[in-house]
Amino acid sequence: MFSQNGLSLDQAPPISVVFRFFFSGALFGLIAGVLVLLFQTNIFNPNSTEALILTHTLTLGVMLSFMFAALFQMLPVIAGVILPSPVQKANLLQYPFILGVLILLLGFYTSESWLFIIASILLGGSIFYITAIMLKDLIKLPNHSASSKGMMVALTSLTIVIILALYMTGTLSGLLQGTYYSVIKEAHYSFGLFGWIALLIISISFQVIEMFYVTPAYPKFISGYLPYKLFCLLAFGLLISFYIAKVWVLIDIFLALVLSGYAGITLKRLTQRKRPLTDATVWFWRLGLSSLILSMIFILITTFTDIETFKQLSYIFFATFALSIVFAMFYKIVPFLTWFHLNAQGYFTAPMMHEVIHPKTAMKHLYIHLATIVTFVLSLFIAPFIYLAGLLTILSFGWMTYQIVHAWKLYQHTQETGEKFDMGSMG
Amino acid sequence: MIISQFMTQEHRDCDTEFAAAEQAAANGNWEETEEKFMLFANDTLRHFKREEEELFPAFEAQTGSAEGPTQVMRYEHEQVKGLIGKLAGAIEEQDKDAYLSLCESMMILLQQHNMKEEQMLYAMCDRVLPQELKVSTLEKMKAVKL
Repeated sequence: MFSQNGLSLDQAPPISVVFRFFFSGALFGLIAGVLVLLFQTNIFNPNSTEALILTHTLTLGVMLSFMFAALFQMLPVIAGVILPSPVQKANLLQYPFILGVLILLLGFYTSESWLFIIASILLGGSIFYITAIMLKDLIKLPNHSASSKGMMVALTSLTIVIILALYMTGTLSGLLQGTYYSVIKEAHYSFGLFGWIALLIISISFQVIEMFYVTPAYPKFISGYLPYKLFCLLAFGLLISFYIAKVWVLIDIFLALVLSGYAGITLKRLTQRKRPLTDATVWFWRLGLSSLILSMIFILITTFTDIETFKQLSYIFFATFALSIVFAMFYKIVPFLTWFHLNAQGYFTAPMMHEVIHPKTAMKHLYIHLATIVTFVLSLFIAPFIYLAGLLTILSFGWMTYQIVHAWKLYQHTQETGEKFDMGSMG
Repeated sequence: MIISQFMTQEHRDCDTEFAAAEQAAANGNWEETEEKFMLFANDTLRHFKREEEELFPAFEAQTGSAEGPTQVMRYEHEQVKGLIGKLAGAIEEQDKDAYLSLCESMMILLQQHNMKEEQMLYAMCDRVLPQELKVSTLEKMKAVKL
């Protein structure tokens, strides 16, 4: 962490690297909104092609893009991993990744086997490339924090998710027989949602909750062991499921308890904030964590009943959990980075965080987000609400896209016209 | 762990003072904001002075390097000092939005800085400095005044 002479700025990647992943994630969010309008309530049938397409638009297109943004920014800052040539790495990752996601979605829609082969090459290549680099650097770290350990486990899960996905695309393209297709599908889903998405959010939260909101640190038994416990549970599930498919019921119960416990502890930490002011990001965290608990409750219920609505509610609330946390991070990271980079470059006129994105703007997004969730839940019971849910999804991600473009333009404008402190004169 | 304990506690105390000033500003009570902010600013600057005049030189002499972590920390101190000046300006002008906006930047910057010190630098100091030197450095730091 301290090996660089170039200080904080050298530790952070260029602002464009982080912004571009937020931008592509938000664009995939817009696509997701359009897909909701096109597919309507078919998205709630877990076995439908429509559900498959929307799920991958959200998990791959939206969430993975946001998580790459978070990893590029957070690895140097909170784990001390400095990635050389970040722009080049972002290029090598992002272009094949975007193309791969689009081709995969098209593959799901058309069932054309050659599309799965191309998507596998593009997605497998780009994601393996970046996870290998990040994991290699993380493993080499002499001093690990709870966050860096958690990130390592989450990235390992991502690697497993992709390996399992390649088995499935291999089957869909006709290259593999797919003897274990249903077993692998269940493991892919569990590793993706819990081992990757939930675990990465948890790992990052170990540091950012304390950093952004000035709370007491997490207890060691949580921050030190939770990522490993989660991973071991999933790995156990994967191995046993080849012999006993029902093992996932047991794993789901454990996962639900562990994740609800984490959410409860984090909600408690948010009540122990030294900074008593509550901004939109605190509400996004509260909403996300409460949704995680709700999602886990519905998962627990579905292990005892076959009522489809509970399963659908667990999906909606899991998506709410993941997206709410992303929005919480977004409204801290984008204004801070814009100010921080310009300030560190010596610009007197660096815009303050509120000038980049005003707290009221973030609050408005919170209301849009809340309305989106409510309409999705309503559409389970009154189908036409799905149109409103689709429109609100478009508005939500459109709002986000505008904020990124605005921040980027402000950044460039300051660089072009701002008065700069002459760093050279410091001697 | 005497260095870590003492310096970490100072970080926590400064956080509390900062939060009190932020809350007062949010309430529009500028007199109280100024009072709490002055406490925060003075304690933070004294903490920096303790590090820059006593702890960092002791660490640098022991490790033979003045270009490693301590240089990064000194630079970040300058960034924080710059923000302290801007926050004081916002109090002067009673500009609530500017004050609260600067508070956001300050807290992220400061917490990030504190984490690096607490997780890395203080731990390194406690590890590499001989016990006697740690005790004497701590005494000297406590004696530092603004």
